[in-house]
Amino acid sequence: MEIYQNLIEYFENTPTIIQVVWIMSCVFFASIVILTIYLKFLRSHLRKNEMTVAEYQKEYESDLIAYLYSGNEEEEISTEQQIIIDKLKNCSADKFKRRIIVSTLLRLRNEISGEMAESIQKLYFQTKLVDYALARLKSKKWHIIATAIRELRQLQVKEVYDEVIAFVIHPKKEIQKEVQLYLVTLFNFKGLEFLNIIETPLSEWNQIQLLEVLQRFDDQELPEITPWLRSTNDSVVIFALKLAKIYNQFEVKDTLLELLSHQNKNIRIDAINVLAQLQVIEAKNILKSKFNDLSKEEQYAFLKLLENLYEISDEAFLLENIINEDFEIKFATLKILKTLRC
Amino acid sequence: MNASILEITVIIFNSLFFIFTIFAIASYTILAIISAFETVEYMKKNSFVNYNEILSSIISPSISIIAPAFNESLSIIENVRSLLSSHYANYDVIIVNDGSTDDSLEKLINAYNLVKIDFLINEKLPTKPIRNGVYKSINPAFEKLTVVDKENGGKADALNMGLNISKNSYVLCIDVDCLLLEDALQKMIKPFLEVSDEKIIATGGVLRVANSCSIKDGKLLDINLPKKMIERAQILEYLRAFLLGRMAWSRLNGLLVISGAFGMFDKKIVIEVGGYDTNTVGEDMELIVRMRKYMEEKKEKYRVGYIPDPLCWTEAPDTYKTLISQRNRWTRGTIETLRKHRKVGFNPKYGALGLLSYPYWFFFERLAPVIEVFGILYFIFLIVLDDVRWDYTFAFISAAYLFTVLFTILAIFSEELTYHQYKKKGTGIKLLITSFLEPFISHPFILYAAITGNVDYYLKKEKGWGKMIRRGFL
Repeated sequence: MEIYQNLIEYFENTPTIIQVVWIMSCVFFASIVILTIYLKFLRSHLRKNEMTVAEYQKEYESDLIAYLYSGNEEEEISTEQQIIIDKLKNCSADKFKRRIIVSTLLRLRNEISGEMAESIQKLYFQTKLVDYALARLKSKKWHIIATAIRELRQLQVKEVYDEVIAFVIHPKKEIQKEVQLYLVTLFNFKGLEFLNIIETPLSEWNQIQLLEVLQRFDDQELPEITPWLRSTNDSVVIFALKLAKIYNQFEVKDTLLELLSHQNKNIRIDAINVLAQLQVIEAKNILKSKFNDLSKEEQYAFLKLLENLYEISDEAFLLENIINEDFEIKFATLKILKTLRC
Repeated sequence: MNASILEITVIIFNSLFFIFTIFAIASYTILAIISAFETVEYMKKNSFVNYNEILSSIISPSISIIAPAFNESLSIIENVRSLLSSHYANYDVIIVNDGSTDDSLEKLINAYNLVKIDFLINEKLPTKPIRNGVYKSINPAFEKLTVVDKENGGKADALNMGLNISKNSYVLCIDVDCLLLEDALQKMIKPFLEVSDEKIIATGGVLRVANSCSIKDGKLLDINLPKKMIERAQILEYLRAFLLGRMAWSRLNGLLVISGAFGMFDKKIVIEVGGYDTNTVGEDMELIVRMRKYMEEKKEKYRVGYIPDPLCWTEAPDTYKTLISQRNRWTRGTIETLRKHRKVGFNPKYGALGLLSYPYWFFFERLAPVIEVFGILYFIFLIVLDDVRWDYTFAFISAAYLFTVLFTILAIFSEELTYHQYKKKGTGIKLLITSFLEPFISHPFILYAAITGNVDYYLKKEKGWGKMIRRGFL
């Protein structure tokens, strides 16, 4: 008691600045004690959580496998399947368990195909998990909406098209990206219609992902891409150029030639690359006539084009450029000249 | 009269030290808060990213991994194997043998069936000349590998050679002894591809301490906490720097340094600014400052990205001698860079770079150790004068000590809530104990290294890089 009074007295008699320092020390000390105790709890919780997740995953996985193999031809849903559906439906009421069920479904969905994959999708509806995903679309938090769309895409739920398309011009780009992937994954090239309306840039990352999805389909019939090549959104033009290159769209040759005069340099370069692949001879003459007005990158791209389309009449042009100051131009020119003379 | 001058001097110094301490505590607190927001945002954004979709894509951008090697004979075969085991589709590996005097090159030739090839180098950046030549493998399994043997010119010179050799748009500059996780490339390239309204000029990654971890065939199998306190202290230091400090600077777009051991760059911009500076030991920081300065002067919107995922594991010094040598070099590198680009500091023309990042580095990285030593000397001076209030001293020291420990515990928390790499039972308590002991077991040596770094810099001692003794991974 006496010590306590002495401390109070000492504290009251010290200058304010020292009082502040002591208070700070006490706050720091208290924070350390609280965090130390919480850290112990947190680590135990994380470890326990990992074990629980693994246990549930194992349990749900065997339930799902049992569901897949307990069907029969007489009934739409067998008794054993109904028991599993009821169990999963009950478990889905719990957010933690629901997340594990969905991830198990997704993992299994990716490992199997054909009728079994369809059964997984059916189960997604039967267990009402789809309703939870739809409810998440109404969330105010962007990442919850994005994960819901992703889940609907991965489980191939085409029925919610109207609900998902509402987010196609959402201000958050992560949501937009998920919507785009949903559309393309589920509706193939038809899903690319969002390109007609997007005003925000389509990032390179999104473009790669979309093209990867498109290439997985058996039906590789590309729709008319000219409107996209003429889009006012430069990223849409760049994406359409990638489509033209991958799917050898010789039909859009004239639009591609128009793009050689586009105000965006990257579009001009990509257009040259596509024309090079399609071996459009007209491009060579246009570009050769204005070679010195082109940017360095366009010049490099043009020389790549020339590698495939050179003719004897190009010799004078090539000879002119073997003394070019730029190493890469000089090197490319010599390479073409060497092939020309061999 | 003399007494009053002394009193006034003492008051002025007391006030200056106090103000510096308050600013330091405030800045660390603000950085911790910002990093918390950024970490939450990052985890949300990346929780549902499917990196696999970009792995095999034929249109994914091409990346060159450039790894300079000098006398790495002991571990070079394993290290190159780790670099070749990335899951990314479109990449190659360029090993620049920087005039090694050991049998590194012979070992590489034998292990990877290398043969000398004709290679025309476009010397966009000046470097020391090629010694034996450029090698490629005749084994298709190692077709991604290129080995360049050149005369010794130091790490920066070797990296510049790699930049000349690379034909790809992006380069990942890495220390050859680092262990790169298989998904590192797609995570590091992501910022370059996903941002469309500004230019990403570089991306920095996190370095984790690999000491005591078990590694086999270039793969990280098990994460362990090292036994030595000096190694554990560095784990905490790395957690603080990467998960709290750099995470916050990334949010502010004020990152001034990307670790030389692990950073990805837009090659075109690196070449445009002239590549790595061969006249500094802090070439990693210097390059970033120069690239930022270049972008500011061009008035182009840009960003230096940052990936907090544990993607690159490195061997940290396990003796005080090596630690001091490493930190001495870091100090000299910082001084050289800040001095070279002093025009940037406190200059509104350079925006956040001039008014935020540079001043922070100047006061809290460059000057902090000097002020700390000066404070110790001043304290001794006050003891001599018998002008010390020990109760006040105790108050200040306890506040400073407790804040340091608290900040470290916050870094541990950040790690637990995000990546939770040290899962084993008992590790948490060991990290906590280390956070209490770190100010005594590691800080004095780091302070000593910083001071000798200052002395060496101002006395123009030619110290170069120093030697890191590698134990190799377990």
